[in-house]
Order: sequence, then structure tokens, then C-alpha cells
Amino acid sequence: MTNYQLPDFNAVEDESFRQLVRDFLTEHFPEDLREVPKRLHWHEVKDWYMTLSRHGWLAPGWPREFGGMGLSASKQLIYTEEFENYGVARTPDHGIMLLGPLLIQYGSPEQQEYFLPRILEGKDIWCQGYSEPNSGSDLASIRTEAVLDGDEWIINGQKIWTTLATDANWIFMLVRTDKSVKKQEGISFLLVPMDSPGVTVRPILNLDLHDELCEVFFDDVRVPKSNLVGEMNAGWAMAKALLGFERIFLGSPKQSANALTRMKHLAEYMGVVDDPIFVDNFTRLRLDLEDHKLLFETFAERLRRGESLGADVSMLKVHQTELFKRITDYMLDIAGENAGLLAPIESNRNLNPSGLFMQARPATIYGGSSEIQRNILAKMVLGLPG
Amino acid sequence: MNLSEEQLENVRMIRDSVSSFAPREDLKRIREVRYQLPGFSREIWREMADNGWLGLALPESDGGSGLGAPEYCAVQEALGAALVPEPYTAGVLAARLLKGSYLTQQLSGEKLLLVAWQETATTLDGDTGETRIEGGRVSGRKFFVPMAAGADGYLVTTPEGMILVGSDAEGLTMETVPTQDGGHFGTLTLNEVPGEQIPLNVDALRDAIDEAALASAAYLLGVAERAFEITLDYLGTRKQFDKVIGSFQALQHRAVDLKLQLALTRASLEHAAAVWESGTTLQQRRVAVSQAKVRASETASLVTRDAIQLHGAIGYTDEYDVGLYLRKAMTVANLYGSAAIHRRRYADIAPSFSEA
Repeated sequence: MTNYQLPDFNAVEDESFRQLVRDFLTEHFPEDLREVPKRLHWHEVKDWYMTLSRHGWLAPGWPREFGGMGLSASKQLIYTEEFENYGVARTPDHGIMLLGPLLIQYGSPEQQEYFLPRILEGKDIWCQGYSEPNSGSDLASIRTEAVLDGDEWIINGQKIWTTLATDANWIFMLVRTDKSVKKQEGISFLLVPMDSPGVTVRPILNLDLHDELCEVFFDDVRVPKSNLVGEMNAGWAMAKALLGFERIFLGSPKQSANALTRMKHLAEYMGVVDDPIFVDNFTRLRLDLEDHKLLFETFAERLRRGESLGADVSMLKVHQTELFKRITDYMLDIAGENAGLLAPIESNRNLNPSGLFMQARPATIYGGSSEIQRNILAKMVLGLPG
Repeated sequence: MNLSEEQLENVRMIRDSVSSFAPREDLKRIREVRYQLPGFSREIWREMADNGWLGLALPESDGGSGLGAPEYCAVQEALGAALVPEPYTAGVLAARLLKGSYLTQQLSGEKLLLVAWQETATTLDGDTGETRIEGGRVSGRKFFVPMAAGADGYLVTTPEGMILVGSDAEGLTMETVPTQDGGHFGTLTLNEVPGEQIPLNVDALRDAIDEAALASAAYLLGVAERAFEITLDYLGTRKQFDKVIGSFQALQHRAVDLKLQLALTRASLEHAAAVWESGTTLQQRRVAVSQAKVRASETASLVTRDAIQLHGAIGYTDEYDVGLYLRKAMTVANLYGSAAIHRRRYADIAPSFSEA
């Protein structure tokens, strides 16, 4: 299934490649899906997913022999940057971003042959079953259990914060398969069809009044033994090993840059754009963003030189997400009574301080909270004792 | 904007050689010279000149080494880490405005001239004011000349141009005001002081002040990095409640926040040095310098203040070195434009915000 239709993008100059991506988006991306503020459901974004699929552009990071674009880290960075700049809506991409790379590295040939094409063809939509009600930041403490019974696993337990589980027909999950060892060493990686008897999904309404997050319950769910990926009890190590350079994307300046643009619109609307206090506060936030861009660029440059990124890349996530929040906090300050509106001011999507404020809240929680990131940085980068 | 391999190699070599010249672990000399006049050593100054640091970034045609802002900043950073008190930034600022034999003597360290350009606090403006030249003699007052007591003379700026006056010139009174870091500012009172008039290129003066702001940012990064290093070391050794205090989450998170600001500062500074170097427009250079100076001043202040708190009582003693870094940051953070001034200038001259 090598992507024969595609040229070797890695041989293209960076700037030409950037242009190529821009042209692709201008030609193919539906205008009405640009800059949408919410995570879209499968039925809303399916056409775009299939467009990417038809052109072989769905999986930038997968090797070409598995049907991906085979992009180098630095080309993937350009691909992602241009998608962000164009305001491209995210698809339900857990299969592409998380499961695919894991199967490519650890899956059996049978698993690769069966699952990877189905992801690329849009036949399977995956969701990720990691967090549990009592296992958030302390993920390794998960208790959802899988017990081997003959040729089948029997799964019992509950996952939570599962993004777009209602749209998915498969879930990849971390399950407890040994309770007698250190918590990290008794976890396995399982693939489970969402239509299995005993699987129940319940959407959760978030503060933004959107239902992308779900709870998933497992009640004596049975799947074949062969749905285990990699060795039994090796799930934690595999999931962790895949935390690669992609972590840089959590620190992309785009969210904050976009919010700052909207702050300017809001300040103009509120008539404070020339107020010296506003100018000073705006400039502080802008300088934080401009320096963030420069710091981001130093990490991107390391990727371009072919270096791998260390734990210090977490600094980008901490700073970016907290900046995003500070920007939206200050938007409420200048919005006056409009700070309390449930919908955008005068139905103008660019004047939506309360909406943006709500969207900024989870950024410092998901993907490892700011506090967890600081713990990691303290130990891995500063060398402070645990 | 990235440095060439050659520049990276230069920067590495400079860092090493300045660090061996001014060891950051041994601040004995810094303590010996502080709170005395002139507050630094002319012999060391001469050595710095012999090492070629004064003319590092000056063109070879002016007797310099023709290296760039990244190399100049590398020297500054290493000097900052060791709290070197010699008026390096001010000496280079003067060199930028001197010509001929004065320049040669300045670069060789034989003579030390300093620019008296400020008549008020918190300004980036050196070519206005009330100091005037009439009939070849200069009258007025100039403030905040760093380490003025160790200079052989002063380049006094006026709307009529510059005038070079000797430190022992008739009609000149120089009073010193001690600064927290153990140095001082000189206040010059000029009463019909004779001197040699030198034409002033206003753009060259403004540029030189901007270069000094960039240099101070680099010095401040060195100050902050070393204060952080000392603090991290302390967090890793000091024990309370039977544990190393660096194992406590409250302290770990504060340390991470400082590290993050240091990383932002380095990115900002390296960018500004590269922009300064690449000969882009004056406006782009000023935007980049202001951006870096805001960050460096704020980071140096934050890191040195938190360094005291993270140490606890020992940090509040004069005998412990970390306090020296706080005093240095207090003195240098607002030189050549405070964070507030540079933020205001940035708001005035930076291109209107756009996301790209």
C-alpha cells in the first residue's frame, strides 16, 4: 500500500513544500469549516477526511509503505503549521496520530494489514481510552481490568474524558492485566470494537456546553485474545515511547496568536484600543507571544537539524496554554457586561470573549496538566529529586 | 534567523575564554572592589582590551575585530555571570562614537572615555537636553554615567554636538552616587568647561544606545542564569524535614517558572542579536532590541528576587553570593532603557499585530 501517487516530499525545499500545502488547502478545504471554534463531529468533517484520504494526505507522519506521506519531523511541522494557519478543522484523528504510529512500531503484521488501511479509508474511527475517573494525572493507576478467559479478554471498568467516543467504532485502551506488580508494569494495550456487547457511551457536557468528551463503560466486554497490541503488560512502556516530537505541537503559538487577534477586534469594538492601559497590557501579552514564537522556533530548528527533542519541550506547552488563558482572562476584563454573554456579541464569531475564555480553560489540563508538566520539567530538566 | 557554523564556533570560543578570564565561582575580587572608588580595576580593563573585547563588534577599518552582535552578546553574558564590574558596555558605547587616535587609545585600554548622554532618568534620548556648548565651552549637568570615577574623560552630548572633556578639566565637578552593585553613577556638573568638540551623528548615537541596550540584555541574562544555577544547586543540597528542599513541589514549580523565563530570554536575545547583525531596517533592529531588553530586564529581576526567597534567610545575608546578583540586576535592569520604556517603544514602533 505504498503511497506511489505521492512525490517524495522530503526532497522538496521547505518553502516550496509550504506553498504546496497552502495550495492544497486553498483548493480542497471547505471554506465554511475554517476557524471553527469547536471539535467537529464525524458527520460534520467526514467529507474533508475523505478528501485527505483520496489524495494520500491523511497521515503525514506514517511511512510511505503504510500509506502515509512519510514526512520528516521538520516537514510535518510545516504541514501542521500550514493547517493551523489556514484554520483547518481537526478530524477525529486518534487513529492517525496515536494508534497508527503505535501499530506501525509494535503491532503484528496482521494488525497492521487489517487496521491501518481501514483508518486511511475512513472505515474505522478510533477513540482513546486512557483516563479513568480515579486515574487522571496519575494515569498509571488505572483499574479497568482485562482478564484472559480462553481465547478472549473480558474487560470490566470505566474510561472517561474520551474525546468523540460517540463517533468512534473502535477504542484503543490501556487496561490492567497484572495487579501484583509495580503499577506501570501491569498495563496492556487492547483494541476493542465500540459495538461490543457491554460497551456503553455517555457524553459529558463541558463548560463550553459541547459534548465532545464522553464516559465509556465496560461491562463483561469480550474481545479476541489477538486484539492485544505488543506484549502483555508492555502497554505503558509502548504508550510512553510514542510521546515523541509531536509534543511540540501542544506548544504551537497558534492558539494564543489567534486569541490575541480576537482581543484586538474586541478592543476596537469596546473603544479601548488606544487606551494606554489597554495598550500596555496588550503589549505585555504580545511580547509574551512574540518571545514564545522565538522559543518555539528554537525547538523547531532542533527538529530541522535532525535532533530529537528532550523533556524541555514541555516548557512550550506550559507557557503557551497559560498565555492563551491569560489572553482570554484579559478579554473578559475589557468586555464589560459582554463578558457574561452566552453567545458571541452581535452573533459575530470574532467577538466571542466568553466563548474563547471557556475554550482556553481545558488547555492547561489536557495532555498533561501544567502542574504535571512542571513536575516533569523539575525532575527531567532541572534534575531536582523526586 | 540562525547563526552560521562559524558564528556558533566563535560564540563557543568566546564563552570559554571569557569564563576562564572571569570565573563565576570565585567572586573574591568583585567583593574587594565594591563600594570603593573607582569600583573596578584599570589593569583588568587593560586586559579586557588586550583580549580584543572592546573592539569585538567594531569594523576592522576602525581597529575592531569585525565580529558581530552574537559574539558581543556572548562576551556580555559571560561577564554578567561573573558580575564583572568593569564598565564594558559603557566603554564600547564610547568607542562607537570615537574616531582616530581617541578610538585607538580607547580600544587599547590605554585611555577610558565614557559618554555622558543622560540628563534625566529613564530615557533613550541622548541628543536633546539643556547642556549647551557656547564658545567652545560646555555648561550643564549630566547624570548616570556608570563608573565615572575611573574614566580619563567624558564625551558630553549636546544639541550642538559632542565635546570631549578631561576628567580633571577646569569647571568640571564630578560627584559619585553609589549603586547597589558596589559601583556608582557619576553626576557631572559642567560650568564652561573647555574641551575638544566632536561632531555628533545623532543616528550613530541612537544606534550605539540601542546596541548598549542589547548588550545589557545579554549581561542580564548572564546574571540571571548564574543566580538560577546557584539557586538550583542550593535546592539540591539544602535539607529540611529530612529531605532535600528541591524535592518539594512548591519550590520545584517556582524553579521551573524561572527556567521558562530564562529560555524565553535566551530565544529573544539570540533573535535580537541576529536581527542586529543582519543589517535589516533600523525599525526592525529597534523592535528586536526592545523586545529582548523587556524580557531580559524582567527575567533578571524575577530570577534574582526569587533566588533570595528560594534560599531563605541565608539568601538575605551579604556574605552569601546570591545577593550580589540581586544587586547587580537592580542596577543594570533599567540601564539603557527600563522594561517599561522599551515596552512603550515597542508598542509605538512594532508593526501592527498580525498572527503570521
